[in-house]
Amino acid sequence: MDIDDILAEVDVHAVPRQTQDLQEFTRAWVTERNAPEILPWPDALMQRILERIRRQIELVEEQTGNTDPKANFRLIIFQTELERFKFLVRSFLRARVAKIDAHALHHLTDPSTKARLSPSELQYATTHTTLLHAHYRSSFLSQFPASLQRMDDTAGGMSMVEGPDVDRAVFVRALKDVEEPVYVEGTDMAFEMRKGDVVVMRWSAVREVVIAGDAELI
Amino acid sequence: MYGDHALKLIQHAKRTQALAHLPHYQTELVRETTREVRDLDKDVSNILAPFQGSFNPSSEPATACSVLVNHLCMRRNKRCLLAYHRVRSDKLEEMCWSGKDVLDQEQQAGRQGNGEGSGMASEVGNQSSLSPEEDEYVRQYGDMLAAYKGQWTDIDLTGSLEPPRDLFIDVRVLRDAGEIQTEYGYACHSLTILCQEWNY
Amino acid sequence: MGSYYDIDAILTDAQKVPCTFDLDMPGLGYLDENAGGDIKAGTRVSLPLWLSTLLAVQRLGPSSQPLCTLDLPASISPRVLAALKAGPKTVDLRQLTSHYYELAARVLELFEEEEIVDVLSETFKERAAEIADHAHNPRGALGEAQDFLRGLDEMERQLFRSAHDSSNAMREWMGETKKKR
Repeated sequence: MDIDDILAEVDVHAVPRQTQDLQEFTRAWVTERNAPEILPWPDALMQRILERIRRQIELVEEQTGNTDPKANFRLIIFQTELERFKFLVRSFLRARVAKIDAHALHHLTDPSTKARLSPSELQYATTHTTLLHAHYRSSFLSQFPASLQRMDDTAGGMSMVEGPDVDRAVFVRALKDVEEPVYVEGTDMAFEMRKGDVVVMRWSAVREVVIAGDAELI
Repeated sequence: MYGDHALKLIQHAKRTQALAHLPHYQTELVRETTREVRDLDKDVSNILAPFQGSFNPSSEPATACSVLVNHLCMRRNKRCLLAYHRVRSDKLEEMCWSGKDVLDQEQQAGRQGNGEGSGMASEVGNQSSLSPEEDEYVRQYGDMLAAYKGQWTDIDLTGSLEPPRDLFIDVRVLRDAGEIQTEYGYACHSLTILCQEWNY
Repeated sequence: MGSYYDIDAILTDAQKVPCTFDLDMPGLGYLDENAGGDIKAGTRVSLPLWLSTLLAVQRLGPSSQPLCTLDLPASISPRVLAALKAGPKTVDLRQLTSHYYELAARVLELFEEEEIVDVLSETFKERAAEIADHAHNPRGALGEAQDFLRGLDEMERQLFRSAHDSSNAMREWMGETKKKR
């Protein structure tokens, strides 16, 4: 029995929005860190979290200078919570940047992957790729014959543009009973996921279930 | 044999991956590998020139094989050069993220190597382990990173990736620093913690 | 086949395998350390994987033969395989070649050699267990274990490193939870 189980038992509607958001974001953070590919940008959730951080910073700034010892203690609690929130967001963003950097061209050329980036991530990826290519060009590539200057060749059975390894193994826990059995592509394996089940599975097989929110990575 | 220079570059790259710092850019090997590509390309043109565009591989298997080998060598060199530069640029980017001023450090290293009395930036650049192109790349990447970071001012994107444990950190004061202004005003309540270290 | 930018994949591709040219190849003598000369049909040359595997599958016409034929490299010769079968942990793989398993995997894609595949998988399994044992037990890195660890191929080294790091991280974490209590 851990905190997730306890939280899951509480009626969702009885939990205040803020707690729900934190729980949801923590889950998104863990999933993003463990999934081999980048996940859809949680726009609305992110807006709410950032708005809350901004308000909290304002509050802390207002309260600083208050000499009442009680207020002072409260301030320390606020700041501690604030630091934890900031850490979560930072770590989440950095995990995404690391994935974008590792396969920048893939993120820019594959339409479904591209759609998962936030506008500022898309801009980062575009600029980074442009800079990197310019760097290659000025270092050596411009002296190559024209036919060899491409960055997206697939000659010789090997593509220069690679995506992440979506068949990497991940640990998954079902948050509810998954109605449809999960099929493992390329094999004749299928299995059912009941609430609370923990399985080790290749990411590609459980991706849909996780993105739908029926399961989480651990 | 073709590809030998490229292989040396890759062996350098392999060692670089295990190092904390960035070793010297292999200007000569990069130049040799690039030249090899141009030579191979010329070779291909020379081999194919007599056929005037009507080359039929199955009737001239030996010629076709030469052309193929040349092509494969060029592609191999390209892959090695890209991978070598990628390993280095990855390392440079990592330095940018961790907040090290790469160019400044390089200049300092260069100055030490140059001895005193030399102030010219170009001379310093010669001593650097970065190529001039890498220098430029770091500058541009740094600018871009600053722009991306700027969209997340509340978060401090390049901050620590260790989960926070304590709100305050211990500071050992080595030199009188006068009044200290912190993120949220004066360091009033953290002074107790500062004081614990004050005795050293 | 490994990723385009992956240094280990590129090093794997640099490993050489013997191949035999099936035709006279004028001007290709430099492949056989005979620059400017020719290669006669039937000549055996050692060529890196990035060159040999592609030449071996290349056919110039619908009915013609491939340009050259590959042979199994010495590192998976019957002699080595017999040694691996007899004692998987006593063979110094690194001395044979730095990227042993990956070389074998690349070559065996082009051959029908189920038995070799079986021997190598069995070898990897036995050695992996031994590697994990050493990684979790730091004292194991001394004495005779040193010989074994020195003979690991690149993939095994990485396995050792990550097993070692994870056991350290685990110990650190356990220590921290204890401290809190």
